[in-house]
Amino acid sequence: MARKTVFLALANLLIPVAMMVFATGFFPYKPFMPGLATYEELGWRDTMGWKDVPAAPFDKVVFMVVDALRSDFVFGDQSGMRFVQSLIRDGTALPFTAHATSPTITMPRVKAITTGSIPSFLDVILNFAESDTSSTLATQDTWLAQLKAKQGGKLVMYGDDTWLKLFPDFFARADGTSSFFVSDFTEVDDNVTRHVPEELLNSDWNAMILHYLGLDHIGHKAGPRSPNMIPKQIEMDNMVRTIYDAIDNEDHHENTLFVLCGDHGMNDGGNHGGSAPGETSPALVFMSPKLKKITEFMDRKSPVDPKGEFEYYRKIEQNDIAPTLAGLMGFPVPRNNLGVFVEEFLHFWDDGADRIQLLLRNARQVKKIVEATHPGLSFSDEVQEMDCEKSLTDGETLACKWQRVVQIMSSVATIHPKMRFLHEAQETMSSTASNYDVSRLVLGTSLGFVSFILAFLALPPLTPITSTGIFYTATLILYSILMFASSYVEEEHNFWYWATSAWYFYLFIRASRKEWQSTFLFHPAIMLLFLHRIIRRWNQTGQKYAGAPDIVHSGIFSGSNSVVLWTLVGATYMDVTLRLSRHVARSIATFDDSTKAPADDDDATDANRFLATLAVLPLGATAFVFKLAFTALDAPELTAGINIGLLQWIVGVSLVDMARMVFGGLVLSGVWIAFADWKRARGRRGRKGRGDLAVALFDLLTVLLITQTKAHNIPLFLIFRTQFFFLSLLSLSPAALTLTTLLTTQTAFFALSNTNALSSLSLSTAYNGLSTYSPLPVATLLFLCNWAGPIYWTLAPLLLLGAHGTSPRNVAVGELDARDWIREEREHVLGLARKETQAEARRKGWTAWREHVARLTVGQAAAGTAVMGACAVMRAHLFVWSVFSPKFLYAGAWAVGWHLGVGGMGGAVVWGAGML
Amino acid sequence: MSITNLAAKPRPPATAIDILNNDTARLYTHIHPILVLSLYAFQFRSIVADPVPALTSTLIPLSILQVAYVALCLPPTGTAVPTEKKKPGEKKKQAPGKLESGVNGKIIPAFLSLVLSALAATPLVTVTLILFGAPISTHHAHTVLCGAHLSLLAILPLVFVHGVDGQTWRETVALLLPIDEVYGGMIGTFLGAWLGAVPIPLDWDREWQKWPVTIVTGAYIGYVVGKLMGGTLLKGRKIMFD
Repeated sequence: MARKTVFLALANLLIPVAMMVFATGFFPYKPFMPGLATYEELGWRDTMGWKDVPAAPFDKVVFMVVDALRSDFVFGDQSGMRFVQSLIRDGTALPFTAHATSPTITMPRVKAITTGSIPSFLDVILNFAESDTSSTLATQDTWLAQLKAKQGGKLVMYGDDTWLKLFPDFFARADGTSSFFVSDFTEVDDNVTRHVPEELLNSDWNAMILHYLGLDHIGHKAGPRSPNMIPKQIEMDNMVRTIYDAIDNEDHHENTLFVLCGDHGMNDGGNHGGSAPGETSPALVFMSPKLKKITEFMDRKSPVDPKGEFEYYRKIEQNDIAPTLAGLMGFPVPRNNLGVFVEEFLHFWDDGADRIQLLLRNARQVKKIVEATHPGLSFSDEVQEMDCEKSLTDGETLACKWQRVVQIMSSVATIHPKMRFLHEAQETMSSTASNYDVSRLVLGTSLGFVSFILAFLALPPLTPITSTGIFYTATLILYSILMFASSYVEEEHNFWYWATSAWYFYLFIRASRKEWQSTFLFHPAIMLLFLHRIIRRWNQTGQKYAGAPDIVHSGIFSGSNSVVLWTLVGATYMDVTLRLSRHVARSIATFDDSTKAPADDDDATDANRFLATLAVLPLGATAFVFKLAFTALDAPELTAGINIGLLQWIVGVSLVDMARMVFGGLVLSGVWIAFADWKRARGRRGRKGRGDLAVALFDLLTVLLITQTKAHNIPLFLIFRTQFFFLSLLSLSPAALTLTTLLTTQTAFFALSNTNALSSLSLSTAYNGLSTYSPLPVATLLFLCNWAGPIYWTLAPLLLLGAHGTSPRNVAVGELDARDWIREEREHVLGLARKETQAEARRKGWTAWREHVARLTVGQAAAGTAVMGACAVMRAHLFVWSVFSPKFLYAGAWAVGWHLGVGGMGGAVVWGAGML
Repeated sequence: MSITNLAAKPRPPATAIDILNNDTARLYTHIHPILVLSLYAFQFRSIVADPVPALTSTLIPLSILQVAYVALCLPPTGTAVPTEKKKPGEKKKQAPGKLESGVNGKIIPAFLSLVLSALAATPLVTVTLILFGAPISTHHAHTVLCGAHLSLLAILPLVFVHGVDGQTWRETVALLLPIDEVYGGMIGTFLGAWLGAVPIPLDWDREWQKWPVTIVTGAYIGYVVGKLMGGTLLKGRKIMFD
């Protein structure tokens, strides 16, 4: 026994270690070159005869980011941005499609735009742990830092506070807005716009950054074809007109460059994060009256038809913005830049030597990074012999290309070899394939496998082989195989829905082998299957059929039908409140002197129960009102049918205070019930309890989970509760309960509209009860918000395993008659008595729980190893960043947050509480 | 409650169904799966192109094949007593004419089982399909036709050999009957249909991934495999759960 416990503990310790080791090999922390770049000695001074840095045409920049501004929102014929299109026709605007690399979320994109580097996938994690100082750009070389370092450099910033987090203390004047409620389409933008006219009159800044969030919010809320989309584009277009007119008319804006760009695009569902064409194709427009000089001989048609999907005009890389700004505004290219100066702008310089110098500086700076990545290769400025005919590695190809630059520079200087080297370097260095630390990938996967073996050794005896065991094994094997198929990672929910259906039907077959129920169609297992069918249609998730009809979006909950939703939500709250009141009634009875013997568990009087309901009602009501108020702000279409006067009264109350009241109430109730049950257990003097405290903790947790769930998903918890009831009728074996845990947790995860893509991560309730950002509470709330379903289904089967809170029948076995005519009945009752004793025996010790955890650990280790193996094998796959990497991050959250945190620690608390 | 019912009506344990002891039966039982698969393979292209009319028209040849199979190879319900157990020299009391016994004893039960499986089993199977995730708001004809194909493959022979005895059907659902080629065919059909859902989410962008082509394909293959296994390797075995 002790040996198995040790194995199990080791296996669980190894899971996070394996994941960490794997992560360090999979997401190598890219070394970056510290310090600001300066103009350096360029070489070939004699042949080229250049003296100074080419004169910069611009000294100020207005950098306007419109979040999720997809290329077609500006360039397409459906666009509302007519003014920008007219500028393109006039030749005072130069349009591009700026390819954004995955992950297409704001923070890494801002990093790419400002540093010119390709942010690592690690930035995604840091995006959510925003306080991490290593993720700020304060110490990195960016065009902001360069502009600030210039003579009289002063920056101002209005809009998304991501910039303020990335660039602390950078801005002379700033007003950050956070995207707290996605339903806020206007205020986030008005908050930016109101500063602009005033700021345009100031001439003390040399960079003004504006970041509008409204368009992204509309996308998240209602997709790119939302009726709000065109009005928002027109609003943005008017902003562009205001700024452009100021630049055109004001003297101090004579040399101001105006850049309009999106940080990323959006897919047809209005989400972003992956690498679909819509998500990676934001618009990019450079505007200034001075651009006429270079657009003279260009095709200035607008609107135009896209070449590929969302590909309008020339497609450049998003990180080309940094070196281009450097050239146009006259500062050294930021050190970590991998972008290429945009060719069109070379025509600003009439002297060919200036053009060459610009590109050569860009190429030299990129060469330094290439040199650091491939230390063994020669990138010197000397002409030398190089064998460039054989098949070359990526590094060797670059060395050859650089050598070609050197050779050309020594004879006739043209711009083409530099361009070729730069583009090749950009492409090679952007693909991180060469950066994997394969030995760590192998080590991490092996450690995962070792953990699996250890967990396997910790299992209770496997013989006799049961069909449940076979089902469990088959599920794990099939899951492990499917993790290697990118489409099944995207559509993972289908696997779990499919396996769970089969499991419920299997339970039906198994139950009907023993005795035929007269309630054939209403057999608990059939009811489970029926409810499962509703659950799987609740939210459409996954990629392939994203946006397909589902229950939530069918319209039965929105608009004037929202009463239906709130009736169901109300029923869910009512149910859990009544459950809580029972626990409180028990606690009142414990301290009630009129009840003589507080040892019996069913001794609450009607007076106690009434008091308890009164005591719990405020908690339930506050939680419900909070949900209503939150939804009125977060998703107003779901509260459209609710009385407006009521809503106004509710919205007036502070959300933060209400959330704190709910959390506080839960903690207080928990402490009170625990104290009462502890006292009751002492008064019981050795007699056995029912494990009510475990049920109480579970019910309290349910309130917390519902608080962290979006309103339209709350009825799911009512369905879960009903499923829990039907499961309790089936008297499942411990192994069957473990399998049920696995299947229901996964099903619940996806049913609550999660996917394996980062775009579906829901942030909306991560700030409940918080007024400022602090990492640990936000991370905890974020986890609770996305894993609410799995948490519910991790703890619910524990209560079935120990039959917590069930009233024992206390059959007097010795008094049963052995005569033939009641033999059947006798055996039936004996069976019941046996089950009761078994469950109680389980509840009283840790063995059953340990075995349950051992089986879960086998599953978790197998799944984790499979995901790591898939990521390691597929590391050169086209979808590695869009499908496999996010899956690995999710697997990490499952392993650490769910398995160790909820299953291990949370489970131990609930199980321990049940022993009282 | 049900236990007492069991005790009141003691039943002989169900035995595996043997195919009829004549050369036609022994031969046709092996030709039949080939014909069924060929029919499906022949129709596959048009089913993929336009499932509803193609699946509807395929029902007729499938019914004919299944009716022919049960009539030629299987003992109709109530006569399942194995012929070998007959004492040597014993004869049936009334030997009806060959044609008459053929029509009364085979053809009519075969058509009855066709009607029953088409009309009674199809709705049940369709509901089961929906419970397992078939679309409920769209593709109604697709799902019903899929249910009809499953019923004809799996249920028709079972009705022919077991009739409509409630207790036997309960045992059928509970997987308590001993395996034979009819029962194996049923289990194979449903397992195949269930496994047929696996390729649907893959991003291969093939036309045949659409509903319900993979399910029906899985069912046909499952039927043939199940029938073969049930008639040979697994014959007479019982499914054990624990």
